[in-house]
Amino acid sequence: MIGNDIVDLALARKESNWKRNRFLDKIFTKNEQQIILNDVNPEIMVWNLWSRKEAAYKIYNRETGIRGFFPLQLECSFENVTMGTVYIKKKIYFTQSKIKNDSIYTISVVEKEYFKKIIRIDTAEEILKKNGIPFIIDFETKTDKPVSITHHGRFWKGITLMD
Amino acid sequence: MNKEQTIEELKNIVKPYIQNQEAFDVLTEDTDFINDLKINSANLVDVILDIEEKYDIVIDNEAMERMVNVKAAMSIIEAKLSEKN
Repeated sequence: MIGNDIVDLALARKESNWKRNRFLDKIFTKNEQQIILNDVNPEIMVWNLWSRKEAAYKIYNRETGIRGFFPLQLECSFENVTMGTVYIKKKIYFTQSKIKNDSIYTISVVEKEYFKKIIRIDTAEEILKKNGIPFIIDFETKTDKPVSITHHGRFWKGITLMD
Repeated sequence: MNKEQTIEELKNIVKPYIQNQEAFDVLTEDTDFINDLKINSANLVDVILDIEEKYDIVIDNEAMERMVNVKAAMSIIEAKLSEKN
């Protein structure tokens, strides 16, 4: 299982005001808020942690079928700007985030080894959906391959796992 | 509480955040904030804060979890308002 999420920082700046009263309280735990407010660039940290939660939610949603808005339950453990884990209930997801070109991109996986098996797909690929979950049909084996897609502002990313 | 009136009020609240005008134009109780109106999930927080401010209620985490469509938002508003009185 994999999940991904991208934030276009320029668009996020336009769409959201993270300094809005109680905004942080609704989505970040006390620990996460500490990490954000202690950072030299709190704004970037807001979207870094947010993209981790979103990427992890995609796996959780697929694994459990649970849909809802519960960002506080997806708690980030912050290793460094790139690596981290997200906990929800008794589940743990690993995250890898990249900050570049005015974007923050996070990939989440259930096993750390999967990071090496991530392949990018491009927009030309035909993406189908089953129960709201996107997949592609593998050209060689003709079998379904789950994918994760994310789109925000100027950016689009799609990934799948190597067999 | 009048249902039609609440739907109208909710429409005004979500309007700044929607990214699918067609779904917005035919909004019903079954309209989903994310799948239909394409509201960005970070903006769902703004919808929740706007609802809290408009009705002077507090949407706790348990209620927030269910806040994915118009119907859920309406029942949460109704429940929180009746708790207040």
